[in-house]
Amino acid sequence: MGSMIKFLTDYLAYVFKGGIKFYAWLAFLGIFVLIWGYGNYQQFTQGMIVTGLTDQISWGLYLANFVFLVGVAAGAVTVVFPAYVYHYEPLHKVTVLGEMLAIAAVIMCILFVLSHMGRPDRLWHMIPVLGIYNFPNSMLTWDTMVLLGYMILNLIGGFYFLYKRYMNREINKKFYLTIIFIAIVWALSIHTITAFLINTMPARPMWHHGMMPIRFISTAFAAGPSLIILIFLIIRKNTRLWIEDDAINMLSQIVAWCLGIGLFLTMSEVVTELYHPTEHSQGLQYLMFGVHGLNNLVIWFWSSMAFMVTAFIMLLIPRVRKNYKLLPIACVLTFVGVWIDKGMGLLIPGSVPTPIGEFTQYSPTFIEIFNCIGNWAIGFIILTILLKGAIGVLLGDVKYAEAEAA
Amino acid sequence: MDFKREDIMNRVEIRAIATMLFLAGMSGAYGEEEVVCYESRKDASKVVQKEVEPGLPNVVCSPVTGAVLWWGDPYDGTEAMGEMPIEADYSTAEALVKPREEQLTLIQICGVACHNGVFPPVPKDKNPRKLTMHQDIVPDSMDLQHGRGAIWCLDCHHTTTRNKLVDNFGKEISFNQPQKLCGKCHGPVYRDWREGIHGKRIGEWATDGTKRWFVCTECHNPHDVQHGARNSGFAAIPPEAAPKLPKGMENADHERHHGSASGSAAGDGDAHE
Amino acid sequence: MSKEKIPVVNLPQHNSPQKKEVISQESVQHYDPEPPASTSRRKFIKNVSGMSAASLLGTAALMTNSDDVNANTEWAEHFQGNYRLMTDAEKQETVERLERRYSREYEKDVTVATTDAEDGVLFGYALNIQKCIGCRRCAKACVEENNQSRGDEQEIEWIRVLKMEKGEFTPERMNDGYPGDFGIQVGGNAYHAAGVVLEGEHYYEPEEVPEADSFYMPIACMQCEKPPCVKVCPVRTTYREEDGPVVIDYNWCIGCRMCIGACPYWARRFNWGEPNLPKEDMNPDTHYLGNRPRMKGVVEKCTFCIQRTRQGRYPACVEVCPVGARKFGNLLDPKSEVRKILASKRVFRLKAEMNTYPKFFYYVD
Repeated sequence: MGSMIKFLTDYLAYVFKGGIKFYAWLAFLGIFVLIWGYGNYQQFTQGMIVTGLTDQISWGLYLANFVFLVGVAAGAVTVVFPAYVYHYEPLHKVTVLGEMLAIAAVIMCILFVLSHMGRPDRLWHMIPVLGIYNFPNSMLTWDTMVLLGYMILNLIGGFYFLYKRYMNREINKKFYLTIIFIAIVWALSIHTITAFLINTMPARPMWHHGMMPIRFISTAFAAGPSLIILIFLIIRKNTRLWIEDDAINMLSQIVAWCLGIGLFLTMSEVVTELYHPTEHSQGLQYLMFGVHGLNNLVIWFWSSMAFMVTAFIMLLIPRVRKNYKLLPIACVLTFVGVWIDKGMGLLIPGSVPTPIGEFTQYSPTFIEIFNCIGNWAIGFIILTILLKGAIGVLLGDVKYAEAEAA
Repeated sequence: MDFKREDIMNRVEIRAIATMLFLAGMSGAYGEEEVVCYESRKDASKVVQKEVEPGLPNVVCSPVTGAVLWWGDPYDGTEAMGEMPIEADYSTAEALVKPREEQLTLIQICGVACHNGVFPPVPKDKNPRKLTMHQDIVPDSMDLQHGRGAIWCLDCHHTTTRNKLVDNFGKEISFNQPQKLCGKCHGPVYRDWREGIHGKRIGEWATDGTKRWFVCTECHNPHDVQHGARNSGFAAIPPEAAPKLPKGMENADHERHHGSASGSAAGDGDAHE
Repeated sequence: MSKEKIPVVNLPQHNSPQKKEVISQESVQHYDPEPPASTSRRKFIKNVSGMSAASLLGTAALMTNSDDVNANTEWAEHFQGNYRLMTDAEKQETVERLERRYSREYEKDVTVATTDAEDGVLFGYALNIQKCIGCRRCAKACVEENNQSRGDEQEIEWIRVLKMEKGEFTPERMNDGYPGDFGIQVGGNAYHAAGVVLEGEHYYEPEEVPEADSFYMPIACMQCEKPPCVKVCPVRTTYREEDGPVVIDYNWCIGCRMCIGACPYWARRFNWGEPNLPKEDMNPDTHYLGNRPRMKGVVEKCTFCIQRTRQGRYPACVEVCPVGARKFGNLLDPKSEVRKILASKRVFRLKAEMNTYPKFFYYVD
């Protein structure tokens, strides 16, 4: 027990021993957290009326980010899967970084759900025994369960590994691998269930199709590893931890294929819906072309398409993929493209028109946007802390013996 | 046509009485700043807003249209409807109506002031003829809109007793019971009305609950039921205000751009403009 | 009008179990053609439950120590359990607490009823779409009755009336379709949707209704027998009552809006901000699951006017409809107006393909 506390204090002590760059980064994020505090105060005291949401479009930017970030969390499995299922050594060494990303992403998910809730003060109503947990009826209860479960699995898996490393002891393979393999399957479940959350509602025809889960997963496995590649490249540049080219190349291949599958699924949906457009295609038509002169989302859809197609083509070419000056561009394009695709491109048009045919437009307010940025900033602060400590352990900078000597 | 002096005298008298009635109504309205609204058909049934209990108004009126929006007391001013000639699922005690005669200003004087049985002379037959009075109710008596030429005033109004309606046997029907008259021709609608399927009822929903039944003339104008080309049994009324536009919308013009939602401009824009 | 006393059955209140007994020879009595006893819901509530007395006492107590009591009241509400799981005593306590707060806030004697469903009753609704003239009086009557938020900031209406085009086919439009080189593929008139729900107008404002070229379709909660909104609620705050209406425990709602997403009829509304309900417009006859004032951040919807219908009264929208297009009654009673309509008219349910089994029927003569 004592060694665990020591581990934690050493971990944190290492994290907060940083240079100007590190603190500048934290301060930069901190500014957004301050604005976030103000925005949340406004939203909590005045209600959701400070957002751009309406009865017509009642799910907006918050839930869009939530859906996207569930994908990022699930996408972390692209590091774990090749490492443990295919024993891919270059990724094996840095698996724990993927797990840290998953933890941060799930925390961001929770933040966005809290932002979305009208009565966050009543969250306890969902706690079993204290409140009522409408399981297994409500898909939201499933989603809560799988998300929290995924976070716990990654916390256990990640920190168990780091702790053993810190103690310089062998890991208990039986225990650790069980956790890892459960987490792999679990990662699929979080995004599948998030897809079920919205595609099990016949009231919203744009979402009501069986392709949703696989589309979610494929785009998640494009956006998630793109972020991981960017993080790896930053780590390579800024720390002594060297992540092998092969690891990055493997991930960029995964991004390429998953993005390709995602685009294929998008195309399938577009053809199915628009070959003979029905009433149920109106959401997609609104998204792609606008309807009756309302076309807020058209620019978003086509820019997302442009980003994703460009990124896909870039990643298809090995020379570009392996050029680490161009690769980040492709990754950013993928990440932003998928973010739009799942956010503005999926969540909003699902509510347009309303189930009884009313077309309205939604534009988020500043408070809403800043609350979103703030949630991201908090997530990145947590990610930075988690990653920095993990890197310290991996490098051997944080060690039990050393700590004792000191 | 035999016009006589008395005839003219009579008409002068009527105008005098009508004016008095009008003035009486006006003074009432201005005296207390009453809120007066209508129930179903505009100008057919007025109701004055008042308190039936502390804090409970008999009706709440719409500030936009002057129509009743809410009944605090659905039975205010009602009386038992009485027997219907044909059986229905109701008891006389449960079925209440608001007497129509109170709403009809002429009915209270017509038997005394004008149609006193002596003058004007009782018509010899029911054939259409030009009316010299009541043009405000029936603008062109030679082209009565109700029935479109197939019936005329005396098919419904009692020939001699003018403050009554008439049934198929020549017996009197009270203005408070127009359903007995309308049911003469409109069988299926009358049946639906008895069953509570046609028409308006307020009060208690239970089959044996107390209900105020709205009678035919509270909703339909008996002299012009179909409103000409509109061919609708209910006269047009102003609607209540549209809901507020949701945040982010400046107008609802897009709604009028009916037609293709598939992005084709073929049908856009010309549906209503 | 006859001022004579007329023999009348003095009807009992509808949730009185001895109803059938009371309608007997002995109970026939004379009464002035003033409102029968059963008309006054307010009186009735006072007699039966004595809750008004409690709330009066509460108001008196509040006068002396108002701020503290109010704060304590609201504080207690935060820890309130789920309504359905409360014991009768807990319900009583909860309701009294609410009555105290509302009475003070709205400066009138507010009652919060907890009247339960009556055995053998299943509420149903029928709307004659042929008769509706689109006057929106139902939507406004609903607001009058159900204490929704009003004003520029946040206006909530539970009923939405759609204006639908009757449709006009013209020879001029015959050539509006795609080029016909390979045979006519799309008729020009195809682009003029007539009578399609998804092409309705929501914000029409003509001088008078009905307009010659339109018909109208009011839509509100269908009180589905298989409600998708109930299924998705993570905390079971919304559920179907035994007599049919789908209700919400506003104090238990966490504001996640899953139900709004799941409803195929767009029947649910959200209190985006603190509702604006002027004191003078507040309807003091409320039900816990119905029209009691709501708070920000919770969902609300039509309950078939549970505070009225559980006391025997028609819903407010039924009473106000100037053309009698709205009918309401007990689906389990073959003699009720709704059952007679189901038996004799051409009836349809909106979006029947959703398998939600609404208890709200549209019909034509």
